[in-house]
Formats: sequence, structure tokens, C-alpha cells
Amino acid sequence: MSEDEEMTKVNIASSADIIAARGKGRELAMKMGFNVVDQTKITTAISELTRNIVTYAGKGEVTIEKAQSETGDKNGIVVVCVDEGPGIKDIGLVLKGGVSTSGSLGLGLSGAKQLMDEFEIKSKPGEGTIITIKKWLRRR
Amino acid sequence: MDIPILKIEDFLVVTIQSELSDDEISKLQEDILLRIKDVGATGLIIDITALDIVDSFMGRTLSNVAATAELLGAKTVVVGIRPAVAVTLVELGIRVKWNVNTALNLERGRKLLKQLIGAEQRGGVS
Amino acid sequence: MSQNLERELSALFEDHADQLKGQWITEMRESGLLEQMSDVETEARYTALYNTVVSTFRTGEFEDVEKYAKIITEEAVMHDMSVERIIGGILKLRDIYERFIFSKYRDDEEKLYQLLDSYEPIANNILTIVTMAFVEERERVIHEQQRAMMSLSTPVLQIREEILVLPLIGTVDSERAEQILEELLDRIVEVEASVVIIDLTGVPIIDSLVANHMIKTVHAAKMLGADTIITGISPANAQTLAGLGIDISMLITKNNLRAGLWHADKMLGFKVRIEDR
Repeated sequence: MSEDEEMTKVNIASSADIIAARGKGRELAMKMGFNVVDQTKITTAISELTRNIVTYAGKGEVTIEKAQSETGDKNGIVVVCVDEGPGIKDIGLVLKGGVSTSGSLGLGLSGAKQLMDEFEIKSKPGEGTIITIKKWLRRR
Repeated sequence: MDIPILKIEDFLVVTIQSELSDDEISKLQEDILLRIKDVGATGLIIDITALDIVDSFMGRTLSNVAATAELLGAKTVVVGIRPAVAVTLVELGIRVKWNVNTALNLERGRKLLKQLIGAEQRGGVS
Repeated sequence: MSQNLERELSALFEDHADQLKGQWITEMRESGLLEQMSDVETEARYTALYNTVVSTFRTGEFEDVEKYAKIITEEAVMHDMSVERIIGGILKLRDIYERFIFSKYRDDEEKLYQLLDSYEPIANNILTIVTMAFVEERERVIHEQQRAMMSLSTPVLQIREEILVLPLIGTVDSERAEQILEELLDRIVEVEASVVIIDLTGVPIIDSLVANHMIKTVHAAKMLGADTIITGISPANAQTLAGLGIDISMLITKNNLRAGLWHADKMLGFKVRIEDR
């Protein structure tokens, strides 16, 4: 992992790791020139997703790095959260911000989706979950 | 890390100075409620000016503290939410369940607490 | 085979460059496409373009055309040149080449059609590239101007201690709504405002998007300790909102800005008194 690749990986197993992941996210977002509001949204989305990992899967990892859109006209940040936890049965329901067993997963996932520009989730019961979120720099 | 809980008149003032881990949050929650009971506080101000992020977990925690404090006879006001944090909390969709009193800063928070307590007392007399 | 044809074409255009280029410039001048351009400038500019086109036929690569198109359209849009002027020049050259091919191979029909078959796709491609570059550049400039207008048209005014007024004018899209919200919150902190009045008199259409942003704004302002009063919703818009089933019961709404101000003063405990003169 070289410096100029700007890629960070954080192992997530406790609430201290959540704070560490948030810090890394904020750092890169700031360096890339996101404004304070977008920095806060990105950091909060990372917080929601990594907390889900701690709460439901116990452990997992998050990678944070620079991204470019397929058409190449937008730059941004991409965050990938991976765990091998119990997975999600009804993704649609959870994304609506609806019920979950602990009462927090709903807001966490749908919240992260609201805060970012792109959100993709792959999950199978018993096999774990991969969530990819992206935010683009605003044209100024 | 111990977070100081100051007593000013009948109010308690808690200033959160850095990001807290879950353990620190639950300990703080406990400490606050014990102190309210100890000193018979009628108001609680939580100052989060130093926080540059409030996620749904922290948001829920603040809301729980306020609800529990209310049961112990104290009104709660959260002060110092930053603009970027406010925008983020609203996007998160937390408003649906969030019934926490808020004010711009400490001074406004005290003013609001006095209003809230005054209104309750007037309501109680009549 | 077909590459040979293209090379033949480029050689043809190159050998007769002076004649064809001269004819091209004359025709453009007659159509008024070259106004406000000196002879030297015209010569330099169209020689460059001519050579670019010829080399495109020779190599079959469109990179140079793309580069050229980008430069010329940036300049054209900046100087507010018309579409005819940019596209017209290319169209004229296309016709001149085609007529030239005809006159040259009039007696060899088979060869003529072969040449035209390989000529047309390249000519059309060049035209498309230039046209697209022009459209894209225009869109970019329009977008930029919209942004500039947006920030001009959303002033957040402090009209009394603790009271901010935000008169919204024009249509509101998501991007603008976001920008307005962020600006408003910064101002609330800056002037320690307790009440915000958002006046919608100048907003022609309030749909669910605008309404939802309004509600978000009210909640976010409240987190900073400021109450929001909405004024100036027209009867038609009020009906739309009711029809959309959006819950606006938590909003404080007043008929017009004056009534909103009156209410704000009352909330803050101000008493307005008209003095005897």
C-alpha cells in the first residue's frame, strides 16, 4: 500500500475502531477538498456502517480511498465495508429505515444511503455483507 | 477519561470535549443521572460544541439521557450543534424520533431551560 | 483497400490545398461567416483547420480534430459566436470537398462511389465532433452561469437582532436547496438568530421536493435553536401541498412577510408600538 494510492484499511472489531475509521475518512475527505458539510456526511456514514459491523457481525473491515466515476468526469471518495456476519434477509425493509432486531440497523443503513451519492449492498443470510458507498465532489 | 459535570445554580452542565467511545458514553450517561438525583437538579445542559460528528447512536444516546432525566425531574437542553452536524442529522432521518430541546450556545441554553421550567411551574400552579 | 482510398483523398486535398482553401474562404466571406476577422487571422485560422482535416483523412485518427474542436468552441462560446459560424464553416468545407471529388471523377463512376463511400463517414464524423464540442461547451457555460445566479439570488438578511429573513426567488432544485440550507445555518450561528422567516412569495411552484427541503430546513434550524416561520405560500401552492399529502402541521406558516415579522416579534417578546408624531 503506497502513500500516493491514498488507500486506507481499518479492521473493525470494537467501538474504538469506529472512531479510528471515522478519523481516516475525515482526513481523506478533507485532503480531497470536500466541504465541511460533505466531510461530516461521509464521516457519519462511515460511523453508521462500521457500527453495524460491530453490532451484528462482531468484526469486519473497511477500506477508504479515492474514486472516479465511470465516465471519468467526477472525482470522489469510496468506502467499502465488508463483514462475514449473519447477513441481511430483507434488504428492502431495512433500507426503508424500517424495523430491525436492535432498532438501530434501519436508521444506520438508510441513513448512510441518504448521506451519500451512491449506495450498493450485497448480502446473503449466513454469508455476510458488502456495502459500497460513494460521494462525489461538488462542481464549483 | 472523566468528563466533569458542573453545577451552576440548579442546573448541571456537561461539556463533551472529544469523541467518546461507547464505554465512555454509557459511563457518562450513568454519571449524569446519578448527579441529577444527588443534587436535585431541575435542568441539564449538554454542550457538544466540540463534536464534529454526531451519528445516530450518539443522537439516540442524547435522546435517551433527556428522556431519563425528565423522569428524574430535570429538563434537558443540548447546545452547540454545529451547522454541518445539524444538516447531517436531518439527512440521517433522525428527526422522526428526536424530541430533544436544542439551543445555539450555553447562554441560550440556560435561557431556554428557565423558560421550560417556568412554563411547567406555571402549569402546575393553575 | 479502403485505407488506400483515404490516403488518396488526403493527397487530393493536399495537392489542391491552395485552390480549395481559397474557395472555402471566399464562400464563407460571401455568407458573412467571417465578419470581424482580419485577413491575416482568417488565413492563419483556416489554414490550421484545413491541415487538421487533411491529416485526419491521412491518418484516420480523430484526436487532432477533437483537440481543435475543444479550443475553437471554447473561444467561440466566450465571444458569443453563433452556431452557424462554427458549424457553417465545417459544412461549407464538406460541400467543397464533395463537389471537388465529383468534378474530378465524374467520368469514372465506380471510383467516384468508392471515394465518396470512404469520404462521407469521415466528413460526418468531423462535423459531429465539432458540433458536440460546441454543445458541451455551451452547457458547461450555462451551468456555470446558473450557479453564479443562484448565489446572487439567495440573500440571507438580518432585519432585526435575532431575526433572519430568507426571500426565495425562482425555482428550487435539490442542489440549490442544499446550498441555501448550508448558508442559512452558517448565518444563524454567525448572528445568533432565534427566528428565521422564509418567504416563498417568489417561488412559482412548490412541489414535494421543495416541501421536503423546507421541512428539513426547519428541523436543522431548530437544532441550532432557531424557529422558522414560512410565509407567502400562494393558495394554488397550498392546495398542491395538501394534495401531496405532505404533513406541514409542524410548520409555522403566515400569510405574508408582514404577518410573519409580526409573529416573529411576538415570539421574541418584542412589542411594536407606533409613536405619536
